[in-house]
Amino acid sequence: MQAKNPRYRLGVDVGGTHTDLVLLDTRTGTFAVEKVSSTPKNPALGVLNGVAKFIEKGIAPGDIEFFAHGTTITTNALLEMRGAKVGLLITKGYRAVQEVQAQARDGNLFDYFYEKPAPIAPQSLTCEIPERADYQGNVLAPLDREAVRAAARKLRDAGVESIAVSYLFSFMNPQHEEDTRAIIREEAPGLQVSISSEVLPRIREWARLSTTLLNAYLEPVLVRYIAHLSKGLDDAGVHTQQRFLMQSNGGVMPFTAAIEGGRTVHTLLSGPAAGAQASAYLAAADAGRGLVTLDMGGTSADIAFIEGGVPLEVTEGVIARRQIDVPALDMTTISAGGGSIASIDGGGFLTVGPQSAGADPGPACYGRGGTRPTVTDADITCGYLNPDYFLGGAQKLDVAAARAALDTEVAKPLGMSALQAAAGIRRIVDMRMADEVRVFAAKRGVDLSTFTLLPFGGAGAVHAAAVAEELGMKRILVPMRPGAFSALGLLCTDVVHDYIRSELRPFADVSPDHAEEIFALLETRARQELLAEGMKIEDAQFSRELDLRYTGQGYELRTPLDGLFVGALDAPAMEAARARFDQRHAQIHGHAASDRPVEVVSYRLRLRVSVPKYQPVEEGPPLHPRAVAEAQKGARQVYFDGVTPLDAKLYERERLDIGAIIHGPCIVEQFDATTVVNPGWSARVDSFRNLVLEREA
Amino acid sequence: MDAITIQILRNKIASLVDEMHYHFYRSGYSTIIRESRDFSCVIVDATGRLIVSPPMFFHAPVYRHLVGRILEIYGADGIVPGDVFVSNHPYEGGLPHVSDMAFVAPVFANGKIVAFSGSIAHKADIGGTVPGSTSANATEMFHEGLLIPPIRIRAGGVPLPDVERLILANSRQPVLVRGDVTAQIAVTEMGAQRVGELCERFGADIMCEAFAAILKGAADELRGAIAKLPEGSSSAEGLLDSDGVVMDKPIKLAVTISVHEGLATFDFSNSDPQAKGPVNLRPSMVEACVFYALIGSLGPRFAFNDGMRDAVRIICKPGTITHANAPAPVSNYQMVNLKLVDVILQAMAHFHPSRAIAGAGSSSALLINWSRGRPGGSNMQYEIIGSAYGGGMGHDGTSATAAHLSNLHITPIEILESEYPCRITRFDMAPDSGGAGRWRGGLSMQREYELLEDASVIRRFDKSRFPPNGVDGGREGGPGRFVINPGTESEQVVRASARFEMKAGDRFLLQSAGGGGYGDPHERDPQALARDVEEGRVTQGAAQAIYGQKIQ
Repeated sequence: MQAKNPRYRLGVDVGGTHTDLVLLDTRTGTFAVEKVSSTPKNPALGVLNGVAKFIEKGIAPGDIEFFAHGTTITTNALLEMRGAKVGLLITKGYRAVQEVQAQARDGNLFDYFYEKPAPIAPQSLTCEIPERADYQGNVLAPLDREAVRAAARKLRDAGVESIAVSYLFSFMNPQHEEDTRAIIREEAPGLQVSISSEVLPRIREWARLSTTLLNAYLEPVLVRYIAHLSKGLDDAGVHTQQRFLMQSNGGVMPFTAAIEGGRTVHTLLSGPAAGAQASAYLAAADAGRGLVTLDMGGTSADIAFIEGGVPLEVTEGVIARRQIDVPALDMTTISAGGGSIASIDGGGFLTVGPQSAGADPGPACYGRGGTRPTVTDADITCGYLNPDYFLGGAQKLDVAAARAALDTEVAKPLGMSALQAAAGIRRIVDMRMADEVRVFAAKRGVDLSTFTLLPFGGAGAVHAAAVAEELGMKRILVPMRPGAFSALGLLCTDVVHDYIRSELRPFADVSPDHAEEIFALLETRARQELLAEGMKIEDAQFSRELDLRYTGQGYELRTPLDGLFVGALDAPAMEAARARFDQRHAQIHGHAASDRPVEVVSYRLRLRVSVPKYQPVEEGPPLHPRAVAEAQKGARQVYFDGVTPLDAKLYERERLDIGAIIHGPCIVEQFDATTVVNPGWSARVDSFRNLVLEREA
Repeated sequence: MDAITIQILRNKIASLVDEMHYHFYRSGYSTIIRESRDFSCVIVDATGRLIVSPPMFFHAPVYRHLVGRILEIYGADGIVPGDVFVSNHPYEGGLPHVSDMAFVAPVFANGKIVAFSGSIAHKADIGGTVPGSTSANATEMFHEGLLIPPIRIRAGGVPLPDVERLILANSRQPVLVRGDVTAQIAVTEMGAQRVGELCERFGADIMCEAFAAILKGAADELRGAIAKLPEGSSSAEGLLDSDGVVMDKPIKLAVTISVHEGLATFDFSNSDPQAKGPVNLRPSMVEACVFYALIGSLGPRFAFNDGMRDAVRIICKPGTITHANAPAPVSNYQMVNLKLVDVILQAMAHFHPSRAIAGAGSSSALLINWSRGRPGGSNMQYEIIGSAYGGGMGHDGTSATAAHLSNLHITPIEILESEYPCRITRFDMAPDSGGAGRWRGGLSMQREYELLEDASVIRRFDKSRFPPNGVDGGREGGPGRFVINPGTESEQVVRASARFEMKAGDRFLLQSAGGGGYGDPHERDPQALARDVEEGRVTQGAAQAIYGQKIQ
């Protein structure tokens, strides 16, 4: 059933403490925001509570034509190990793949009581199946179908809910895995089956096995959740079939695709993706020149890069110590949030994080019994935050408690004042964020000089100016609603599906026809899935990439083929692809070797289907702009350097009109965020109501 | 000097070291760099003292020796901005073995050296008697490859191509080596340049003061932990299977640790005289073992730097295995390191019993030199195989992992078979290879190879004759094994490192050693033992015979 009077689009982002909802009215182009408490036991309840709030305010649920959802349901299930009971089928004789993992240890290398993360499928639920293919996909040993049958029965009887299948070289020849799935479905019809040639048909057996296991582990959780949420939406009268789920790659997938299976792992790193996607889309002009996004919350800061208008991506990831090699936006997370605790370590040095005071007891200034000083305590002591206007005044902050904590834990032991300690904590945190950005930029071969910093999350804009100064960045863009930015991002995405096929071979031996054949296979599969999801093939855009490397290298580089061919691949296109690889290698790794042979490792296809998106409205300045002074609601002393107080004006963000310009030192407050404008910086409200901070010459 | 500036500069150096590593690991060409990450990048002070430790920890103590030697040879006045030094010399430069090549670049401020940037990375081949250079049977360092004492490869910013040509001319893998050398010089220079920028910004004096404070902080922290130990002394010793040359003679490693007035002394004088085969250690490696064991036992979260040398005294007697005289060969140092760590931890248990642990299974190497590689591919296959940890107080040992000082990645089967004419026909766990105990040792892995072309195979391993020790009633771990053509008439069980000429169709099985057990096996928790049997880690027979429990 479709919406009768399609008018609204709803984006819902579920976070750890709050669920944010953004309802876009397509007739007026404006949006409304709701914030409700998250319901971790059953997150769908929080979502439905939020939807009910809109309905209470007179929105007809039947008029909602589009629903996009960001959820950490799978991420949380993994962190808390609440996934399904999983059985595993592997090629006979290779039990050690799962046991050895990468062989190298993670974590503290001096701790010889080291333990690996508990296996998703224990050895007792791992069945060895006689079968084997070689590196070209030739069958060396046929599939023992009876062994599969016996294994399926054994796992079913052991109470397994979900089965992962990962055979050696199945990415070259998926037949044995597909046959295995068919047999399991006969023997144990109710069980979910994840096969590695579908989840991640990519070379490197451990990464593929790990990713497939995670898919098997979390698929029942996701499918149950979606079924529950769908029913809740139906019951609430939200009839749209356009229901989408955020993925790690910055795109969405329809609920139907999630239920179909095999894609669950694509949601695991989706938490921070919507914010980065929102940045790329809503700050399009700046994104073209380059953006660094800084999402600073309670326990950590997420940093992502957007270059040439698109977020950078990675294809290898780790979550909760587990390998998951699916495309995801390239993010780095550091333990620098408002709740990060400052302490003196064994060597007598002042450190900040990784411990966090979290939401409970929270920073000392929350007055909930926290006695250890945090970044927020440092912020409030320096005067950056307004004790009477936290969350719009809903929560009073206790400055004296913040000071006391700083005094006892940091200032006295180091022989300095509480104020100096506070400024020091800030300096350490700001520099760490800046250093992290710098390492990340160097890794990616990114030149920051033309980049804009885009802060969001509760604390992002409090620290952005200091981070930008440390990096020599001259421009900061604070979006209109930093607190609801991720939810808004859900209304700014396309459906994106990624397909991959590995085949390691010298580049020189790959004919254009051979490459074309592989891409055609991937496209056929993509089309079939698209149809099954009820979407139109005419709306689909395909883009191709090759994963290439110099012979002897272990890590490949994604090389896009866009613009290199029309219709089918030909010899000049392949030559140009090789040249593009050298160029990208030089850009990212600092050098290239155009005389060295190259290998193709994988073929990638990305399918993009455009879905309706939020269009930000550009406005001119008001006819009779209010004086900037009217937005000023006071002044307070701020200790930028921890020694000398500066008088900073306080502004109410909502009362600053388009075109208004203010000068630092000043502070701009709004319900969900505080923006600090350092001395030497100005801030201007642009025609999209963003606050643009620039360093004055 | 305030605590905040020190912390800021420490973070800056740490993030710079990260940046260097990332750069190098992404740009290194050879298999070892790319899959195993056998390299390190560091920043040291003007005298060569390391500030922040690299992930490849056992390289950390090397830089002090190397930079110290460069300063001795050239004098601080003889070094100019833009110089880059190279060395792989175990005796002149303190390098672990000839295959590890180091590059060092000075950082100048106000006309004075304030720091050095450095890097060490394993090279695919640097000459010597065998492909891959690391011979299991060398009897002099001259067999182990081209020896480069500390010399310039760039002078005042000008490349000296003669030196690079000389190095490449001595390698069987000049293309790989050239790629790695280029990347390594680039990353070393980048580090030096960035430290220079920090000096300009914060002031060179502040920078040097911060270095001193960071070094002192680590020394104070370690001293504080040592001060809490009981006074007294404790000795331990262990045996290496052989030196790879004199096959029937085990090699003794021995330590006496004494704690007196807050100072810990590690005396290795009772170790055997230096060996004929390549199992000799440089003092830099002994230091790595001492600091690793000390930090692991007293405070795994301590951050190593060269300041810690002030809290510890290490005695290595010249002419012994722990301080050989040139030209004794050293290329097989890693398995000696790993044995030495076991011995030190055994003696440490007396001082700090809650961190006691049984012997680990060492790490081992496999090198296959193919007569004919895949078209367009390399013909040199090199793998590092992990083993397992021993059981410890309150902990079962972890199975199938890189242990202690070694932390290399395994090369995926699918990459190996795609790149080289080999087939890995089996990769599983060896039941009962974890030493029995109240806390069981970790299980070892076994891997069977089939050759599809003729090849020369070098296998380097230890803990076959003398498997990892158990502790406090725990049993030994399973021994390391190398079996050629297992299950056939020509089956050959090999007990020591060696090189073999093999034909297409030949097979071999390698099994690493399992970890030793901790405590009486009869005291093992029956539920844990039942799980072991269910998962195939302990056989029913062993459960009954060794643990004294009947498991259905």
